[in-house]
Amino acid sequence: MEKRVQDYLQERGEKVLNLAGDLKVQAEAFLLYNRELSIEVVGGEVETLKQAEEIGLGVRVIDKGRLGFAYTTDLSDAALKKTVERAVYIARYAETDEHNVLPAGEQVYINLPLYDENIEKESLENKIELAREIERGARHKDKRIKIVERAGYEDTSVVLVIMNTAGLKAAERANFCGGYIFLVAEEDGDAQHGFAAVSKRRFKDILPRDIGEEGAVRALRALKPGAIKTGNMPCVMEPYVVTRFLGIIAAAVSGDAVQKGKSMLKGRIGDKVAFAKLTLVDDGLYVEGMGAFPFDGEGVAARKNTIIANGVLRSFLYDTYTGLKAGLSSTGNGQRTSFRTLPGVGTTNFMISPGDKTPGELLEGIERGFYITEVMGMHTANPITGEFSVGAAGIMIEKGKLSYPVKGATIAGNIIDLLQKVDGIGNDIRFYGSRAAPSLRIKSLSVGGV
Amino acid sequence: MLDSRILSRVLHRALARGADFAEIYGEERNTGSLFYEDGRLEKVNQGLEKGAGIRVVKNGNTAYVYTNDISEEGLLRGIDTAYHAAAKARDLDEELALRIKEAPFVFSPVRRPEEVEWEEKIRWAKEADRAARSLGEEIRQVTVGIAEVEKKVVIANTEGELVEKEEVRTRAVVNVVACKDGIMQTGYETAGGAAGWEILGEDGLNGLAVKAGDLALRLLEAKPAPAGRMPVVMAAEAGGTMVHEACGHGLEADLVGKGLSVYKDKKGKQVASELVTVIDDATLDKKYGSYVFDDEGVPGQRTILIAKGELKGYMYDRLTAARDGVLSTGNGRRESYQHKPVPRMSNTFIAPGNDRIEEIIRSTPYGLLVKKMGGGQVNTTNGDFVFEVKEGYLIRDGEVAELVRGATISGNGPEALLNVDRVGNDLGFAIGVCGKEGQGVPVADAQPTIRIKELTVGGIVEEETPAIKRIRRR
Repeated sequence: MEKRVQDYLQERGEKVLNLAGDLKVQAEAFLLYNRELSIEVVGGEVETLKQAEEIGLGVRVIDKGRLGFAYTTDLSDAALKKTVERAVYIARYAETDEHNVLPAGEQVYINLPLYDENIEKESLENKIELAREIERGARHKDKRIKIVERAGYEDTSVVLVIMNTAGLKAAERANFCGGYIFLVAEEDGDAQHGFAAVSKRRFKDILPRDIGEEGAVRALRALKPGAIKTGNMPCVMEPYVVTRFLGIIAAAVSGDAVQKGKSMLKGRIGDKVAFAKLTLVDDGLYVEGMGAFPFDGEGVAARKNTIIANGVLRSFLYDTYTGLKAGLSSTGNGQRTSFRTLPGVGTTNFMISPGDKTPGELLEGIERGFYITEVMGMHTANPITGEFSVGAAGIMIEKGKLSYPVKGATIAGNIIDLLQKVDGIGNDIRFYGSRAAPSLRIKSLSVGGV
Repeated sequence: MLDSRILSRVLHRALARGADFAEIYGEERNTGSLFYEDGRLEKVNQGLEKGAGIRVVKNGNTAYVYTNDISEEGLLRGIDTAYHAAAKARDLDEELALRIKEAPFVFSPVRRPEEVEWEEKIRWAKEADRAARSLGEEIRQVTVGIAEVEKKVVIANTEGELVEKEEVRTRAVVNVVACKDGIMQTGYETAGGAAGWEILGEDGLNGLAVKAGDLALRLLEAKPAPAGRMPVVMAAEAGGTMVHEACGHGLEADLVGKGLSVYKDKKGKQVASELVTVIDDATLDKKYGSYVFDDEGVPGQRTILIAKGELKGYMYDRLTAARDGVLSTGNGRRESYQHKPVPRMSNTFIAPGNDRIEEIIRSTPYGLLVKKMGGGQVNTTNGDFVFEVKEGYLIRDGEVAELVRGATISGNGPEALLNVDRVGNDLGFAIGVCGKEGQGVPVADAQPTIRIKELTVGGIVEEETPAIKRIRRR
């Protein structure tokens, strides 16, 4: 099926480039086929089942340095012609910009195992059963799990073809699947939320019971929270919390944000911005991450970019346009969310490399500290200054051990300062979508409580 | 776009597989948008979309499938997926006959987006930029956004109904930033309608640009608003943001059904001042929230929600109407073929009353006159709201006095409606894209000039909670 789709997309792409050639403009055809299935169960019943199938083309043309764009979901000859003409027509009114260039054709793509036939072959019934098993996993874990808001299974399959008039030809397919649960635990009038979400490249790697149990544990351990006293104290962040901070850091290392003066890291290349053992990479070739793909949204070969090496800021991320503007070249980070938009700078697999400490070892020697399991309002962090003040929940650390749960706290500081205050890195790296991180210990962080 | 014989065969298959209700929503959409910033054309995006959404309902549970493959084969595959293994097949001999439903009324767009050259639209943006900047050197930034859509929709369902509709919508926004002595103020104006570009006059967007720029400049000189509880007069031109957010959402049948509305179990009760009548009306010519049919093929209607303060009913789609044993009020709407329909507002407004505007002002010794609303948020479960006041004036001794900046008004929706003591004989509209369950649909809202006995001015916007809806008006 996917092979047939790929041939079809390629044939349509050729057609687009021919049409553009007739009009004497440079052009790029971005063709995507995408299929998604999502199943949501409540109380063992399928409450919603959604299947989406989408096919579309985005055409980028460059006419004497002026950019034009149009898209279509109709791939008939007439629609292709109309779409190319629209893109060419609109380029007339755009500003000339010498950095508007299509990536050249000499790309070497690495073959990655990104496709699991079993995801397609598995029956709908089995997928529904998997979602039910996630729910059961949570309910059987503990009788205090009173409400399962929803449990679900999802899978996605894509075929992507990118071709341009500079001779570039890229085609690949990939799929992945995942399970999740949102639930509530109740005890003595107290109710706490819990969740778990896992995405995997292979169907057999989805372990539904584990997902259900993880969700249950997250809610159970938060029951009957106590208070934390305001003050500066050592903190340990779970991988999930670290990946939330990675979201803000990802925005700050975008070449586009740097060039527009919207980044806290502008002008800091070569500076020590983090703990000496901390390394941050963006790796489009790391197969276990959902951001892996042999090329980016412009067809530039994916690679591993080291952004922070042993605490020192080494590089920002670029697409073709911002790379040229910086006097460098694309780092393979021209990303697109759909065929409906132009490419822009984005991350692939954005990861903090694991360290050598077990999560238990990170707690050792902390007399009194805060183990952070959740942050709220992360979008309010300022990407330009790096300042943040967000809500936090977690567990008190006393004498090197986890003690009672804490809710309604706040943590505040500056992200770069936080990276510099890291003094321990866990070996427990975990992916949340396309971002991965281990647990981090922070020497001292301002915690607001009572 | 979709042949009725194909639709009939596909729906027949759904029934044969045991569906209680099935529906096909086919759509063909041409979209265009433009963004102009910093004196240059940033982006123009034109798209062509074709797709179909198939919904199958069985025992109250919904399966939804969408695809760009609108061939018979693609649609049949959709039905088979939507109707997963749990279904028992049954024999059905008779064919499903589809009857076309006649449109109860028509809208006639004049300047269709497709017929207006981009050159002209770009010129509107350039001229608006120039018009705003010519107001003074304090004008630092002008952005212009233009969006247009033309769509054709076919809806067929297992009740045997077949509906064809066409919708044209246009919208423009001008945003102006002015700076002086480290102070920054913004002004913005929007225009939009379920109509073509005839919504703009000869001067294109210049009028909007000058109005927005003028407000930004005047705000630079304005004094901070006073805080406290006081009477608030909301001018008609402020639009009906408050009635939409603080009252309208609470009258959507799905939120009522889930117990997430303050208006649950209030039918027949006095929920507003007897001067207040609230109407949702999809049939108004050229208004942004208007439509001939909703997105389930039910004709657009005028629904009286509150009459002289008494709650008359809620806004329904098919599913919620069936649950409550009533008829759909034609409020089942969706963003596109990629979404299932849910109850949504169309054009929601407080009906005009009898008071003369000058008289309302004259009879107010002290208070705040709100001429333009900004963003805000509403907690739909209890009706508490906070809104930014974009343009507000103090009223002193029955006269409109100075412009003030930074005011917020906070209160409780149902309580505010009970406290309305004057209703003017005018009516003013505002437009917006209303978000709910991740779907945005075009709406308009309106009100006459009204006076609310008392609201808190200068409240602080609180931390976001899940029940709170954030509102953006751009």
